[in-house]
Amino acid sequence: MKLRTLGSAIAVGVGVMAGAAMAEYPERPINMIIPYGAGGATDISARTIAEPLGTAVGQALVMANVTGAGGATGSVAVQNAKPDGYTMLFARVGSHSVNPAMKATLPYTLDDFRFVTVYEINPVACAVRPDSGIESMDDLIAKVNEGGVSYSSSGVGSLLHLAGAMVLKEFGVENPLEQATHIPQKGGGEAATAVLNGTATFICTNSSALANFVANNQLKPLMVTTQDPVEGFDVPTANDLGKPRLNQLVGWTGIAGPDGLPDDVAAIWGEWMATATQDAKFRETMESVGSVITLMSPDEANAFIEEQYNTFKALVDELGMRVEG
Amino acid sequence: MSLLDSLAAGFALVGNFEAFFMLFCGLVIGVVAGAIPGLSATMAVALTLPFTFAMTPINAILLLLGVYKGGIFGGSIPAILIKTPGTPASSATILDGHPMAERGEAGRALGMALYASCTADAVSNLALILFAGWLASFALNFGPPEFFALILFSLTIIAGVSGESLLRGALSALAGLLLATVGLDLVYGTNRFTFGDPNMMGGLNFIAVLIGLFAIPEIIAMAWNPVAHLGRTRALGKSRCTFADYARSFKSIIRGSMIGVFLGSIPGIGAAPAAFLSYSEARRTSKNKANFGKGEIEGVAASEAGNNGVAGATLIPLLALGVPGDVITAIIIGAFMVHGLQPGPMMFILNVDIIYGLFIGLIVSSVFLLVVGSVAIRGFRFVADVPKRILMPGVLILCIYGVFAVNNNIFDVGVMFVMGWLGYIMMRNRIPAAPFLIAFILGPLLEDNFRQSMLMSGSDPSILFRGPITWFFWFLTCLTVFAITRSTLRKKVPLS
Amino acid sequence: MSEKSLHLRLGIIVSLFALFLVFYAIPSFVFAPSNVRNIILSPVFWPYVLAGLTGTIGLGLVFNALTSAPDTPFDDEESVHPEGSAPWMRLAALAVIMVLVMFGLPRLGMVWTAMLAFAACAFLFRTRHPIVAVICAVVVPLLLYAFFAHVAGVAIPQGNFVRLP
Repeated sequence: MKLRTLGSAIAVGVGVMAGAAMAEYPERPINMIIPYGAGGATDISARTIAEPLGTAVGQALVMANVTGAGGATGSVAVQNAKPDGYTMLFARVGSHSVNPAMKATLPYTLDDFRFVTVYEINPVACAVRPDSGIESMDDLIAKVNEGGVSYSSSGVGSLLHLAGAMVLKEFGVENPLEQATHIPQKGGGEAATAVLNGTATFICTNSSALANFVANNQLKPLMVTTQDPVEGFDVPTANDLGKPRLNQLVGWTGIAGPDGLPDDVAAIWGEWMATATQDAKFRETMESVGSVITLMSPDEANAFIEEQYNTFKALVDELGMRVEG
Repeated sequence: MSLLDSLAAGFALVGNFEAFFMLFCGLVIGVVAGAIPGLSATMAVALTLPFTFAMTPINAILLLLGVYKGGIFGGSIPAILIKTPGTPASSATILDGHPMAERGEAGRALGMALYASCTADAVSNLALILFAGWLASFALNFGPPEFFALILFSLTIIAGVSGESLLRGALSALAGLLLATVGLDLVYGTNRFTFGDPNMMGGLNFIAVLIGLFAIPEIIAMAWNPVAHLGRTRALGKSRCTFADYARSFKSIIRGSMIGVFLGSIPGIGAAPAAFLSYSEARRTSKNKANFGKGEIEGVAASEAGNNGVAGATLIPLLALGVPGDVITAIIIGAFMVHGLQPGPMMFILNVDIIYGLFIGLIVSSVFLLVVGSVAIRGFRFVADVPKRILMPGVLILCIYGVFAVNNNIFDVGVMFVMGWLGYIMMRNRIPAAPFLIAFILGPLLEDNFRQSMLMSGSDPSILFRGPITWFFWFLTCLTVFAITRSTLRKKVPLS
Repeated sequence: MSEKSLHLRLGIIVSLFALFLVFYAIPSFVFAPSNVRNIILSPVFWPYVLAGLTGTIGLGLVFNALTSAPDTPFDDEESVHPEGSAPWMRLAALAVIMVLVMFGLPRLGMVWTAMLAFAACAFLFRTRHPIVAVICAVVVPLLLYAFFAHVAGVAIPQGNFVRLP
């Protein structure tokens, strides 16, 4: 019995090999690399889309978390993979716009990837402890000018790191790096906890990471960076406060392949994503954690990321935040 | 709503076959996954998560909790049988569990591991139910300075697991601290000892180091002398854990559970340090001190109580504050959020039925664990009967698969091999491996919390003594260092 | 070997390693940005502390060897190995197997590499059950593959030649 199974297994394997040249993409399971750990925003998003996406693709999607170095380890794995469409990456704002903008030592650039879609936008919100006496952004800025304000992030080169500096800069703080202290933590959960236990004064991160604390009155939101209000966050938007430039400051999740990805593969991914994002259960799950489902075509996605990258890059250069060495 | 009403509402929610069945399934999945090195409890929970999206919230969470608890116990099975911890939390179990298996007492060690786990689990669940609010608000007082003091104190465990020589133990710990500096710097993001390799930027994978350090040296030793084991009676006796064993270790189990509850309720420490701390406390107070590390059943009991004590307690910050205590609870929080639940103080008001349903499920889980665990032990302990020269290549293959699976990275397999040779060299030079591991876990925490404290205070060191909690741990640290120094000087033996 | 000679040997090696860290490894492989305001926040601070402690332990070992360590051999020490140089050859062979595994994993795929490694190790350990060993060498990697790839959903490397379903 066992031998027969083995024999047929090998036979199928060889058959698959022989058919490789002529068969239509995709003729075997696709490896989807998630460059962040299990349970994080990227992971939940990826695993939620995996189900409708797998149906649309018609092949199994093998999800693989390759974590480390703020998403760099997993991204490099895809950068070095064969551009045959069988190794794709769930790219995230941290790994593909903040990191390239901030880190000179990063082993990849945006040009090493070809984006096939961005399917989810996460608004960014800033929050403080309710007992901090800070009621609005103006209070926060006043406090920053007094000194002694700090903000937490999930590490150097994370969205949170840049967001803290960018928000302060937009609100007229001359040199946010000198006037407010950045206290990096080991992850997103730790960053929120740091504000909760008074280690840091404020945090700017994806609204989904804060929704829970805001609902429980453990953290007080000050603003959201989107144009439209975010459900559950009863605060002014960036546009209400007259800072529309902060609209650029949003999180996103997309799918990318290595640079040499053929056009037809990119195109078919666009179709699959169009089908997958229509899935009601997917939408419901993602919206329940505060995401906005926005499907972008490959070209739109590239333009969107390029623009965000350039905004961030300009800010990093202006503030001297670039990490060398 | 009164307590009785809440309880009734909870019962109404879990009082059906499906909820208990899910819990049971979770435990089975957890024990099996935990028993496979590399497929630790964390991965098992992560893999189960997508299946829970379609369930009712209570069933989903009970399933995940089952996997979590089963996984933490399951990790001790390979730790005892093949010296390969299935999950990092069970690395302390190796110290005495594996020598017992070598002596032909695998059944006894596994039995004790199970009973200690279940007891600790029950204690931990009780602590969650009775003191969640209080412990959680206490845990919120832990900022970086408090963590720094706590971790400094935890590093004194090294003295307890150094074995015959404190100097060689310290050497081992230093090697662990040095290796833990590999990766990106926390505060400035610069490279440290990465040699430009993106695989090293994330630091060395903990599980690869762990398995490399414990399992691979055994395989290398087999190559050195393939017949070394033949004279020994390794064949699994029908040995069982007796009630006398349990009664003798009971104090250590309760102490270990308390340590687990305490460390578990503080976010960010995790189960492995709790197991080691519990082990070193048991050793310090035991009458059979000299026998620890050579197959003392109380050592197994203490380590397993320590790590399972954490499992219920990590839910304290999760439920009371919405803060994940470790990676596993971070995943479980994801499950809460997908189901539209928002853990935190409000949940005790808005979703009190789910909270009490969970409590009931948790209490039942300790009993289920006992059942699932006994069956698993019976199934797994015959591993000890496999001829060792067939078993060892099998262990090697299992480690390759397992370590790869942790992060889907072939580089980690290389890390495991290199660490294996380092571990073998240490073994040949009588340098104990346990201090290395503790230092590897705690070193980065110590450094990060130190630097975060300095960032908070603008480099003023007085922040490290900012409140009663820090004073308490500084006092404990001084006391322990003093005790170690005195006993070393008095006996003249352990230092040399 | 006695504790005295072990500590002397370890002490000298460790002290030299500490010097290597301080004068070569840390300056060349740990990068600190130029704008660090305070030395205790610098990325090099902790490595230097550790290097200093390493040196201290090294000197401590040497000191201990020269003063109080007993010069009697360890009682559980294995005496001269009966096989002469054969154990060293086996260690070298195992190291070669490990290097080949690293080489084979991305090219041959994990399952085939594991089969070869299993068989090679079993024979290296001179198993008494060669037939069982060969059967296990084929079955164990396949079973593990089936479990990891199809139950746990792990992307086990498949290599360039023969793919498994």
